[in-house]
Amino acid sequence: MEISQDTYDLPLWRTSWRRARRRPFQYILFVVGVAIGVAMMVSIDLANRSATRAFEISTDSIVGRATHQILGAPTGFPEEIYVELRRDLGYELSAPIVEGYVNSPNLGDLPYRLVGIDPFAEAPFRDFFGGASQSEGELTRFLSQPDTVIIAASAAERYGVALGDDIEIDLAGVGRTVQVVGLLESSDGDESAALDGVMFTDISTAQEALGFVGVLSRVDLIVENEVDLDLIQGILPDGTRLETTAASGNAIRQMTAAFELNLTALSLLALVVGMFLIYNTVTFSVVQRRPLFGVLRCLGVTGQQLFRLILSEAIVLSLIGSLIGLVLGIFLGRALVGLITQTITNFYFVVNVRSITIDFWSLGKGVFFGVLAALIASFFPALEALRTTPNASLRRSTLESKVGRFLPYMVIGWGVLLVLGGVLLQITDNLIVSFAGLFAILFAFALVTPPVTMWLLQAAVPLLQSVAGAVGRMAARDIMRSLSRTSVAIAALMTAVSVIIGVSIMIGSFRVTVVSWLNQTLQADIFISPPSLSTSQVSGEIQPDLVAEMAAWPGINGIATARSVRVLAPDFGRDLNLIGVGGDRDVSQGQRTFAWAPDGATQESVRAQFIAGEGVIISEPLVLKEGISYPPAPLVLATAEGEKSYPILAVYYDYASDRGTVWMDDDLYAADWGDRKISTVALFVEEASETEAIVLAMQDAFAGRQDLIVQSNLSLRTNAIEVFDQTFAITNALRLLSIIVAFIGVLSALMSLQLERARELGVLRATGMTIRQLWQLTLVETGLMGLIAGVVAIPTGYALAWVLIYVINIRSFGWSLQMQLDPGYFWQALLVALVAALLAGVYPSYRLGQMAIASALRSE
Amino acid sequence: MSVARHDLFLDMKRFLSLIIVLAALGGGGYWFWVVQSAPLAANTSLTGYLAGDDIEGFAQATEPGGISLPADLGAHDDYQTEWWYYTGNLETESGRQFGYQFTIFRRALTPPTEFDPDSESDWRSNQIYFAHFAVSDIDGGAFYNFDKFSRGAAGLAGAESVPYYVWIEDWYVQEQEDGSIDLWAETDEVSLALNMTLTRPPVFHGDGGLSQKGDAVGNASYYYSLVDQASVGTVTIGEEQFEVTGHSWKDHEYSTSALEGGAVGWDWFSLVFDNSDENALMYFNIRKEDGSIQAQSGGSWIAADSSVTKVTHEQVEIEVLDTWRSPRSGAVYPAAWRFSIPDIGLEMEGRSLLPDQELSVAQVYWEGAVEFEGTLNGEPLTALGYVEMTGYGE
Repeated sequence: MEISQDTYDLPLWRTSWRRARRRPFQYILFVVGVAIGVAMMVSIDLANRSATRAFEISTDSIVGRATHQILGAPTGFPEEIYVELRRDLGYELSAPIVEGYVNSPNLGDLPYRLVGIDPFAEAPFRDFFGGASQSEGELTRFLSQPDTVIIAASAAERYGVALGDDIEIDLAGVGRTVQVVGLLESSDGDESAALDGVMFTDISTAQEALGFVGVLSRVDLIVENEVDLDLIQGILPDGTRLETTAASGNAIRQMTAAFELNLTALSLLALVVGMFLIYNTVTFSVVQRRPLFGVLRCLGVTGQQLFRLILSEAIVLSLIGSLIGLVLGIFLGRALVGLITQTITNFYFVVNVRSITIDFWSLGKGVFFGVLAALIASFFPALEALRTTPNASLRRSTLESKVGRFLPYMVIGWGVLLVLGGVLLQITDNLIVSFAGLFAILFAFALVTPPVTMWLLQAAVPLLQSVAGAVGRMAARDIMRSLSRTSVAIAALMTAVSVIIGVSIMIGSFRVTVVSWLNQTLQADIFISPPSLSTSQVSGEIQPDLVAEMAAWPGINGIATARSVRVLAPDFGRDLNLIGVGGDRDVSQGQRTFAWAPDGATQESVRAQFIAGEGVIISEPLVLKEGISYPPAPLVLATAEGEKSYPILAVYYDYASDRGTVWMDDDLYAADWGDRKISTVALFVEEASETEAIVLAMQDAFAGRQDLIVQSNLSLRTNAIEVFDQTFAITNALRLLSIIVAFIGVLSALMSLQLERARELGVLRATGMTIRQLWQLTLVETGLMGLIAGVVAIPTGYALAWVLIYVINIRSFGWSLQMQLDPGYFWQALLVALVAALLAGVYPSYRLGQMAIASALRSE
Repeated sequence: MSVARHDLFLDMKRFLSLIIVLAALGGGGYWFWVVQSAPLAANTSLTGYLAGDDIEGFAQATEPGGISLPADLGAHDDYQTEWWYYTGNLETESGRQFGYQFTIFRRALTPPTEFDPDSESDWRSNQIYFAHFAVSDIDGGAFYNFDKFSRGAAGLAGAESVPYYVWIEDWYVQEQEDGSIDLWAETDEVSLALNMTLTRPPVFHGDGGLSQKGDAVGNASYYYSLVDQASVGTVTIGEEQFEVTGHSWKDHEYSTSALEGGAVGWDWFSLVFDNSDENALMYFNIRKEDGSIQAQSGGSWIAADSSVTKVTHEQVEIEVLDTWRSPRSGAVYPAAWRFSIPDIGLEMEGRSLLPDQELSVAQVYWEGAVEFEGTLNGEPLTALGYVEMTGYGE
């Protein structure tokens, strides 16, 4: 039975092949639709994974075989704990680590993880050095001479650094010259990648270079039984804690999860738009072959065979499209990884990705979804081919009348999907479910597009008639008559345009919110900070003598200082930003707005309590992300002396970090963490007109002492907005791609539609239609379709924006934004739809105009 | 075959390099040297380590009578090499015999002239410390050996004179308030806790503590011993504890110098006799490539008051009566000796109490408990002690 069927299918395949050769355009569109969707998905996935993986590899490799870690305050914990571990407990499976990030101008000006180790303690933990090409003399220097490092041979080679060379490293504007006394090689790909971003030095050098004298960042441990664990726990003073390495790694990884999920969802959106494209082309290929299928059915070909044929075509074409998509995706991924990496570094942790990892899982997933999308999109047309009788296959109007019957159901479907979307958004905070809700709403609007199109056109016919005469009426009727195809094109365009609207409103609202927040928050005139690898956290410190000089600078009448560190909040199991605020002025001059404050509290009363050290102020993202309810319970933080809880005085709006920020008076911070360092300084000038002069004078004065960034209020705000734009660069890139997909989609749909009508237009031409009228007819028709898509896209885009702003953003990042409805977004979207549609009408008009009337008619 | 120990000092410098290298191979410590040193480590001959050390900037042992106690009990960072070497013979009340070795080594990676001590970080150091710890369970027929490495900084390891305290992490020898010394070393398998009391004054070897190892001036070490220290304590093997008593022998040497070229290893003896004069003997031979013995090889015949009669290697006759082949390293070590010093009237034969007392930690060498029996001027006597033999590898 199987065999005979195969035999019978072969001629059918031949018809497909013939058609593909005669009319490759539609097949190309199909392939393009799949390719773009897959490319988007794969590129985002590859870039995401490369960034995560780079982080994981570096973390895992550095962690080595450690099972546990002793961790403490952000400024480290006393090194005596390690000495005690070794001398009193004799616990040999322990290794002290002092680490931080430095920048090296000689090594590509990239961040490097400076890891200070004690070589004697290393053997049980890490064996990077199995392939080391150190000589004994060089290694003696590593241990006994200050400022010697071992770097990866790959990094050295890339930047032309040789053994024995001096290189510069920079930590928060303080330069240091170190000598390369060893090069590490690794044959293991992951390890090699991990080593590439690492610089090893003796723990003594690390302590001095990173300002960690007398303290350690952590102690790595291998602990195999509870008894040892208890013993170690027993000597740990308050302020230090014992964690499994898996736990510390997970906490960091979880932070980027929401960010990456958002990107993935955006890439899925591209695939959805691509699905419309595919649906469109498959529908056409079925509709156009109706006469052929009718004949075939008459000859005894079964409906199942036709069904199988359509789906087989879809599989073959989608495989081709997926493969092209993979190649495109890899290229695109290379471009995106830099954007993603920068954002992750700004908001989460320092990650240094030099190339993308071609991950076969990502590629496989791309192909899978590409084929799946094509199959889903082809299913209904294939079903159509299966169901039609031999007789009906010869007439297109049956399909159209069916579409007509479906219209009421589509409206019902719209309602059902909207409700479903609403429910999905309501029932849980889970991000994946939330995105499913978002997609349901998007589908709902796509589903309602055909009835809306019908309704709008019916309503518009009289108007069109009066404006454009017969051509206007004909155009409207043409669209309605071919609704099975036109409505899909319109829906595709509508979906793409609505995504553009939704994302634009979201970004626009975000930007407006951030700008006004910056204006409120940044009231000081001059801002000084050391250079930092990440924009959301300053990792270095300003030398104390320089701070004193700044405060006493002529023309300066106020100073606000901030110490920026990350501390553990045990209740949330992760680090928060902690800012110790000092100086004689408030950097925001009391302009920050409360997201919450106790009844009757004023800026003044809160600040008074704050300065008195009665409690802390936290940022709104912390409240939203951790689901803290008002009034908030006291916040527990791991201080250098152990856990301590702090009453919350107020909650501020904040858009600097989705990690969550805690502000605390510097005296309170110093008392609990024993740290008086200052990360950033804000200064107030007496005469605003002198700001720039003071900035320049300070830059001169500090040059050569510490490489500080001294900038005026204006330039800081400009920079902040630049960072914002940089962060959304990837979203913008996605938006642009959506436009391209939309354009290709509508172009293909309209072109097929018009070209299919060659005979009909030939008749019209033969009966006296001028070329000018032909152009009019085509352009009015495509213009109408674009307009309808644009009109439907406006409420859809608004709904998307609403969900993105009030649901997705809050659940992902805890950012509460004020929605800004700039009419410009709608006009632009309408314009994009219209222009895309009109452009799509140009080529068919040109082709049809060129076509000899006789040959158009002969195709009958 | 005649044997010497003193030249160890010269050797020891190289020996220490070797130990570091091999320790790394053993996975216990200094991984840096792993690859670099692998070819050297395969060769247990010392000669490769003996040539061409740059001793520029280090202090050298040149002054007879240059040791001053207790000031010199601690570390001498200006000298390249130093060790505090404890060996001892112990037994339980019921007569079960144990031997132990506990040595803390120090080595300067750079001369003091090249090291800036004014470092902010407590961790910076040019001093490496490492230790060997071995217990011989004579009646149980088992030998346990371990090592440990650290830097001489951040309180992890060091050596202080007053009060006397030498430690590497949790292993230590430390002077107590009553003047006695505690020794403590613990591993997962065995541990040793001893309290030692001096029974006689320090013994200064060579020329008032200046022990010449080679022809050149400075090719020497400062070397004194505290012999026959009354020892009481506990040996723990697995779950079993043994209350023991016995005597311990401490050597402390520091030097900056190399063995004369051509040395391949050394044999060192330390014996405490049970005769009425309470004699003790320290003797070493440095063996050369050509089979001859280094001219400066020799030792000290020690009286009860710690006065020393110098013994040269020409005065000593050593005949190996038996050998033992290590199944691990393949090295063939002497296992029994006829030992005589006719000028003193000493005639004796001895053997290792346990054939396998080969340390296979960083460096592979034999260091073990021995017993001797014979006559001194016709009077019968026996001795317990330790023998160290290096350079027997293939």
